[in-house]
Amino acid sequence: MALLELQNLKKYFATQKAVDDISLSVDKGQIFGLLGPNGAGKTTLIRMITGIFYPDEGQIIFDGKKFDPINDTAYIGYMPEERGLYKKMKIGEQTMYLAQLKGLSKKDALEKIKRWFIRFEMESWWNKKVEDLSKGMSQKLQFVTTVLHEPKLVILDEPFSGLDPVNSNLIKDEIFNLAQNGSTIIFSTHRMEQVEEICDHIVLVNKGKKILDGTVKNIKQEFKENLFSIGAEQLPAALNGTAPFEVVGTNDHSQIVRIKEGNNPNDVLQFLLHQGITIHSFNEILPSLNDIFIKLVEGTPTARQFQKL
Amino acid sequence: MKKIWLIIKREYLTRVRKKTFIISTLLFPILYLGLIFGMGYIADQSKQNLRVAVIDYSGYFTEKNIAYQNSIDKNSTLVLVKDSATKIIADYAEAGYDGYILIPSLQWEAAKTDSLFFKANKSYGASATATVEAKLNRIWDDIKNEKLGIDSAKREILSNSRLSITPVNTKDEQANVKIAEGIAYVSGFLIYFILLIYGSQVMMGVMEEKTNRIAEVIVSSVKPFQMMLGKILGIGLVALTQFMLWIAFILIVYNVGKASGSGGMANALVGNMQHMFTSVNIPLILFCFGFYFLAGFFFYASLYGAIGSAVNEDMREAQSLSFPITMLVILSIALMSTAIANPTSQVAVWASIIPFSSPIVMMARIPFGVPATVPWWQLGLSMAMLILGFIFTVWFAGKIYRTGILMYGKKPSWKEMIRWAFRKN
Repeated sequence: MALLELQNLKKYFATQKAVDDISLSVDKGQIFGLLGPNGAGKTTLIRMITGIFYPDEGQIIFDGKKFDPINDTAYIGYMPEERGLYKKMKIGEQTMYLAQLKGLSKKDALEKIKRWFIRFEMESWWNKKVEDLSKGMSQKLQFVTTVLHEPKLVILDEPFSGLDPVNSNLIKDEIFNLAQNGSTIIFSTHRMEQVEEICDHIVLVNKGKKILDGTVKNIKQEFKENLFSIGAEQLPAALNGTAPFEVVGTNDHSQIVRIKEGNNPNDVLQFLLHQGITIHSFNEILPSLNDIFIKLVEGTPTARQFQKL
Repeated sequence: MKKIWLIIKREYLTRVRKKTFIISTLLFPILYLGLIFGMGYIADQSKQNLRVAVIDYSGYFTEKNIAYQNSIDKNSTLVLVKDSATKIIADYAEAGYDGYILIPSLQWEAAKTDSLFFKANKSYGASATATVEAKLNRIWDDIKNEKLGIDSAKREILSNSRLSITPVNTKDEQANVKIAEGIAYVSGFLIYFILLIYGSQVMMGVMEEKTNRIAEVIVSSVKPFQMMLGKILGIGLVALTQFMLWIAFILIVYNVGKASGSGGMANALVGNMQHMFTSVNIPLILFCFGFYFLAGFFFYASLYGAIGSAVNEDMREAQSLSFPITMLVILSIALMSTAIANPTSQVAVWASIIPFSSPIVMMARIPFGVPATVPWWQLGLSMAMLILGFIFTVWFAGKIYRTGILMYGKKPSWKEMIRWAFRKN
């Protein structure tokens, strides 16, 4: 069941079509990757979902009803890419303040904050100020303030930037945890290796339009180029025209081959066995999301151009 | 509503708990009093006591005349020189004089002004020579009186029998212009300080939220308008608190002074204040002060807030954009002086009705008396206009704020900001 549905959203600014007719649907409990190059319209899209901007056209359906920015924002947690906290305010007070702004009562807020602070080993921070924290520490704090009110929808914009591997893993585990407990997560980034690791479903936007939508597995299947890596003692030096594949590259002990149109992997194996070659390994090479991303975005101007609307 | 309340509370508490707030609240009255007494002290210190040789060729001046006036007026001393005139002219500095005046032969019965010169080896200001001149004239008067045969009793009558005029408004016999002027200046300047100091605090606060990017987190919980309003109200309460503390401070000084009862200065102070309390309508003035201070603050603070939302961390950008606003406040102070000099002039009346200047100018007129000097309709119109005015500026600022707070990059011009305000959604 979809927690969030965007229908034909449009948001035009004076010189740009920031979001130009995007529709997508995010299921409950899903970890949803929102990808795109810089300036693709991700932030504008997120700002419409968080109720900061009103769309020019289109609809947002949140939890089965039309999105109501005033009341529904209590169910959304948003961590913007540029982190923001009051530098001079004490951490305990600040967390309490942000939690209460999300509609938690004082008692609830205190209880939840204490739980999170213990979990992240931040108990000693209560009377410190944000300016005393390192970048990684304030990142953790920001994450806590985002998820504290147990939102149904958590939107994380580049949550790992500036974190060391240990803290990255800590946050990553928490993201999985949240999803397991029924929260839906929209994860916006351009770090593809994280997306492959974390996301169930991705959408790629470029220049305000959606250019790709699907599960990570399906997308990889869709963009595969029938490449296989064959680890064998020795491939025949010259292949005749009857071979169902062609060699496109060589690695240390393996060859990368592309299966010709109309053949399947079994044909390759059969051909090789027939030739009496000992095969150590036979793997399909799926494109990485990074490759797909570059392939799709490449060729379009890297910077968005200003245009008159 | 609950969220606005949370924002107000945060804005208020973080500021009131700061050391700078406590220090500035304590320091301001001390500095203010220090300034007043200090200026008097400096003026006293800078008075120059000159020792002047009077070289008389007219033959009218006598030791007795000069000694008499020297004994009455201790400021500069005049010394009559009869014999060694040429030596004194050549060496007056060595003889211990600051300078000398040559008195030529005068005709005492000629009703005209004779020009004399005070010669010295350095330049003296007008105030220094004025005391010498006044003393010399009093001596000259004594001499003429003697010549005319006017004895000291008649002289007493001539110099001390005087008529004095005090302006009394027939519509308000209680009014005391001196006290009204004093209150007008104090309240006008206080509002001026509040508008500038707390207005720029609003601007800095908004800028801080924008550059820290906390704004983006908060606008995902509350509407930008609530965020701005919460900030303005919170900072307004801080200003109000500071005022209450000052008023309490004055009342404590007053009551302590009254209770102790002794001591010339304390007595004089208490007496002055009692006199003031009876001559002006204190409750009305306090009420109006509260109103104009708050409404004026909303009027300007929202504009400053809008500017804070539009610029980036660069202070210079903020200064150049807020310059027109600051100019309006300074212009109001200029208009205030005119209004105090003539509280019923056309300029004063209109400046006290038009919203941008009314907080300062109307507060400068009210102490002169309502309804005698300021008719009720003017006060009512002025208040209504100011309320409409700040509703407009808050609305206008809210529109700019909503766009500006999430906009990074180039500093917008006033023209662009006005376009943001009138764009729908």
